Parts: sequence; C-alpha cells; structure tokens
Amino acid sequence: MMDLSEKQWVKHAVMHPFEGFEDMRWKKSGSLKISFAIVALFFIGTVVHDRLYAFHFMNSYDRLFNIVPYIVKSIVIFAAWVTANWSVCTLLDGEGTLRRICIFSSYALIPYVASQFLTTIMSHLLVNDEGVFISCVYAAGLIWSGVLMFNAVKTAHQYSVLKTAAAVVLTVAGMLVMMFLLVLVMSLFQKVGIFIYSIYTELQYRFRV
Amino acid sequence: MKGYIRTAAALAAAVVCFAQAPPASARRTSDAYNYDRWGEAIPSQSGYTALRSVSGSDLGTSAFSGLSDICLCDGKFYIADAGNNRIVIADEKLESITAELTEFDYRGEKLSIGNPGGVYASEEGLVYIADTGNSRIIRCDEEGNTDLVITRPVSEQYTAVTFMPKRVLCDRAGFIYVADENVTSGAVMFDPEGNFRGYYGANRVEQTGEVLRNYFWKFLANDEMRRYMTNSVPAAVSSFDTDDSGFIYTCSSSLSQDVDKIKKVNAAGYNLFADLDTHFGDMPSADYSDYPQNSYVDIDVSPSGLINCLDYTNGRIFQYDEDCNLLFIFGEKGYQLGTFRQVSAIESTDEQVFVADSQKNTITVFGETKFGETVHRATALYNAGYYEEALEPWFEVLRRDGNYRRAYMGIASAYINQGNYADAMKYAKIADSQWRYDRAFEGWRERWISRNFIPAALVLLLAAAAAAVLKKIFRNRKLRSSAPEAVTAAAAEVTEEGADDK
Repeated sequence: MMDLSEKQWVKHAVMHPFEGFEDMRWKKSGSLKISFAIVALFFIGTVVHDRLYAFHFMNSYDRLFNIVPYIVKSIVIFAAWVTANWSVCTLLDGEGTLRRICIFSSYALIPYVASQFLTTIMSHLLVNDEGVFISCVYAAGLIWSGVLMFNAVKTAHQYSVLKTAAAVVLTVAGMLVMMFLLVLVMSLFQKVGIFIYSIYTELQYRFRV
Repeated sequence: MKGYIRTAAALAAAVVCFAQAPPASARRTSDAYNYDRWGEAIPSQSGYTALRSVSGSDLGTSAFSGLSDICLCDGKFYIADAGNNRIVIADEKLESITAELTEFDYRGEKLSIGNPGGVYASEEGLVYIADTGNSRIIRCDEEGNTDLVITRPVSEQYTAVTFMPKRVLCDRAGFIYVADENVTSGAVMFDPEGNFRGYYGANRVEQTGEVLRNYFWKFLANDEMRRYMTNSVPAAVSSFDTDDSGFIYTCSSSLSQDVDKIKKVNAAGYNLFADLDTHFGDMPSADYSDYPQNSYVDIDVSPSGLINCLDYTNGRIFQYDEDCNLLFIFGEKGYQLGTFRQVSAIESTDEQVFVADSQKNTITVFGETKFGETVHRATALYNAGYYEEALEPWFEVLRRDGNYRRAYMGIASAYINQGNYADAMKYAKIADSQWRYDRAFEGWRERWISRNFIPAALVLLLAAAAAAVLKKIFRNRKLRSSAPEAVTAAAAEVTEEGADDK
C-alpha cells in the first residue's frame, strides 16, 4: 500500500491535510530536492507577485528594485522557520529531524506559492470590481498552507494539538531572536569592516608621504 | 582634403549658430518646478512670466509705502497703500490712477484711515476698507461718502480683546466678512447693517500627539492648573476671496498648524476641500529641519476658477485648478523683476496674475506663457467634461513638457471616451492613474472577448479535449509497463490506487 513516487507524495500530502504527512512519515518519504525546488518557486512567486501584478491592482514604486528584500521575505524566512522549529522542538522532545522539518514545511508551502502565481495571473484578467475573487484565492492559499504547516509540525514531532500550537508560537519567537542576533552580528561585522578599512587608509596615507 | 573642408565648414556653421542663439530667456527669473506623482520636485516649464512691475510713480502718483492689499473689481484696481493711509483706485491695465481716497465723509464727520490692511470692492460699487490702525471697517462709495462704520462688536460671543481687521470681503447678500489675526474662531461676520452675526469658516485644530497629550492632562488638572497650560487653538484666517458661485476661499498663514491652510467654504461653513487628499504648497521633504513651511498671506480665485495661493515664506505663487490639482508654481525671493521681498496680496484675471509686495512697494504683473495658456485651455476643457476636445491642447502640453502628469491623465480619459482602450491603458500607466487604467482595461477586455469569443472558446475546448485524451493514453501506458513485472494482485492494487487518486 501507498507505493507512491515522490511526485505523487507531493500531491498526496497537499490534498490530504490531516493524514498526508502521517502517511509520508510512515513511509519515510519526501525528497529534499523537491523541497528546495518549492522554496525556489516560493522565492520566484514572491518576486512575481510583487513585480508582475497588474497595474490597476497594485502600484509599486518602480524607481527602486532591490532583490534582497525578496530573498529575505522568502528564502531567509523559510530557513529561519526550519532552524528555529528544529531548535525549539529538539528541546521539547520533538522527533523531527532537520531534514524532515524542511521537507514537511516546504510541502506545506505549496498552496500559498500556487496562490501567489494564480492571483498574479488573475490580476491580469480581472478588473477592480472583481477583485474579491483574487482575495478569495489568496486567502484560500494562505489558510490551506497554514493548516498544512500546523499539521507538518504536529506530524514531524508527533505532538498533540496543544503542544503543536505552543511549539509554533515558540518557533516564531525563536525566529525573532534569530533575526535580532543576525542584525546584531551583521552590524558588528560592518563595524569591524569599517575599522579595518580605516586602518588601511591610515597606513596608505603614512606610506605615501 | 575635401573632408577637412567639410569639417571646417560645419564647425564654422556651428559657431555662427551658437553665437546668434539668444541667451536663455532674459525674463526667466526662476527655475520652474512642479511635483511628480511621488511628491518629488521635478523641473517643469513656467506657466507665467513676469511682464512688468508697477510702482506708485508708474501710476502717476506718489510712491507706495507698505502696499498691503489689492482688489480687482469691474475693471478697476483698488490698492490699499497702508504706509500713506490711502486707497488708490487705478485702471485695469495699471497705467494711471483714477481716484485716491484719503478722507471719508461719515454723517458730516471727516474720517481718515490708518494703516489700512485690506480693501474690497463689490459689484455695486461699494468699497470696503479694513481700517486696521483705527480698529474699524469702513464702507463707502468711490468718492469716499461713507454709509457704514463697524467697530469692535459688543457681544458675549466676541471674546478677542482687540478688533484688528486685516482683510475684508463682502458676499452677494452684502454680508461683510472680516479676517482678524487675533480671532481664531474664523472670519468675523457682519450683516449689511453692520451687526455682528458670529463667525464663519473656523479652522480645525490639527490632531497631533501634543494636542492629545494636553487634552488628557487637562482632563485631570484643576482650574488653577489649567490656566497655566497651553491652549490648542485653531489658526486664524489670514485672507479670503470669493468666486463667481459665491463660495468663499480662505487661507491661513499659520506655521504651526498644517490643516485647513487652504479651504473652500460653502454657505454652511463646511470646508469642501476637507475630504480631498491634496497637500497644498511645497511638499514636505525628507529633511524636515530645512523645510521652510509655506505661510499663505493671500488667496485669489480667478474668474475661471483657478486658485492662486500666495506663499509669504518663499514668495511663491501656487496655482491650482478648481479641483485642487497643482498647475504651476512661480515666483521666488529676490530683487529682480518677478521675485519678491515681502509679498502681501494677490489678484488675478484669467490671463494675468498681480502680486503686491509690501517692501518693494510694487505690483508685479505676470502674464501666462504659451505653455501656461495651453495648460489652462486643456484644464478648463477637461474639468468641464470635454475630454476629447482637450486632447489636442494636452498633446501640445506634452510637446512642451513631457513630465506634465496631468496631460497623460487627460489623454487617457479622452481615449477611454473614444473607445481607444489600448492607448488609454498606455497613457494611464504613464500617468500612474490606476482607476483610469482599470476602466480602460475593462473596456479593452470586453472588446477582446466580444471579438474573439468563438476562437477563444474553440481553443479552450480543444485544449480540454487534448488534455483528457493525453491523460488516458498516459495512464494506459503506465499500466501496461507496470503489469508484466508485478504480480496480478499488485497490478489490481495499482489500478485501485489510480482510481483513488482521481
């Protein structure tokens, strides 16, 4: 039973929000390759949703384009989620490995990523008065992904519902802490960089004369 | 050799051309600018150019001193010459004076005026003078025969200690409105008999954090404490004007309040500009400390509805159309023609703008440029709903200034009306006008569907059929390939699985 290929597992997991991940866990399925592909699509979807959205729905400030915020909004946030979840749940007797958390979480993202692409296409077909359909699709994708994500955490660590909720809250807190530390480290490194550069310029002036 | 000669000839021609090119307009006094969609200043064409400046001696009288107000009515200029305590009446072209009012007969008494701050003339030929120095309003005819003098109202409602009328105005019913810098409840209103009738068009207080904090502490404080706390009062009305339909436009010179600086007030005292998302005057830049705030000392509405706001801080005139779209910005601080030292009043006709300067003591006459004339023509047509007629002047505007955003809007609107949706979408996008784009897109989509419905439906149907057929073939092939190596039972399971999958 359940002799599915990896591609079929993706479909199974997404279409069966409450048992899909359990089945996957039982069969030890899930591919890291597909997981990375989904995260890549998530990144592309974020960019597409922000830049290629129809003009009459969204007006972006076109003078500036910076890819870094999009990377942060997709890849970095996903990585932070996986790391934070793994760190938190290791302490909370979770059974999930880093690999499994990554795979389950990325599979859970699929409806949201799909809604990103779908709403972008819809925005080019609909006018403002019909915008509510777009909101519906977007909300559906978001809620679906949310349910999947919750069950992904629940399954990966074999938690009860309440413990999963607590783990999710702690994971978000952990993500914030990580972001804070990241910013701190980056600013420190920047300071070090500036320090080294000023020594370099100082030496340059000394040896020129 | 031939090449050298040709080069030399070209160079010589270029030299001749440049030598004969006139220097960049000698009359140009400032770099004209406008604001783009994002509120950033961008270079633009000037809509007005200074034609001449008129002093007292140009009019054939003694020099002005402290020009405080001008008023244009029925082809006559009424000039309040505060320093010389007189009202000068000049012709429409500002070439010579026709009368000079210094003495006023009031019930056998001779009155004189002191430091008059404002003058207004009504259609009936009555002259209203804000006699600031003597704390009164005088209503007289053009010979100075006074029939009404209004002094400080005796009323419980009038709480200001002084009565210092700075500007005066009268509406069609003969009601008199007085702007007083010390009265924060709006313009003081009198009926035609000179009885105090309350206030009109009070400004609001801006809801800043400080105001809310004071409100909270006042709630807790006792009377003694309250007396020493700062009061949040609205800004006083600094000047006003009325348009052809009887609306009164007010402006405020307050530097601390940012709301209600320019208002259009209806008969009920309601500000019609309150709901508009318009920022009057210069945009606040990112660096607030270096941002000189606009302080409007006077406002004028031209017969065709253009709103001219006079900014004291920078000596600038901001011209808006009747829907509060910024048209032009002109004037600046300086000593040359077209620049100012201390602006005090503004008047306008449809083609010209007159600005009084109380330190230069001249009236500067601005005439509209070709560009200004085109913009005005297009704006008037557009605002009246003649979108397609406005198309030609809008294109003319774009030929002169490709950054003029309203031209793109006007063209997009005209194209929508004409059913030229593809071009309308293009221009709406350049204009950054989402609702126009939306409307154009709706029309475009509707037309596309009605033209291409049958082919589109056919393509969709064929695609669906092809997908169904391909799926069937694909599944059959998979079954056939998996059948030989698996036992029969397993094969049956897979078929079940496939059915489940569906």
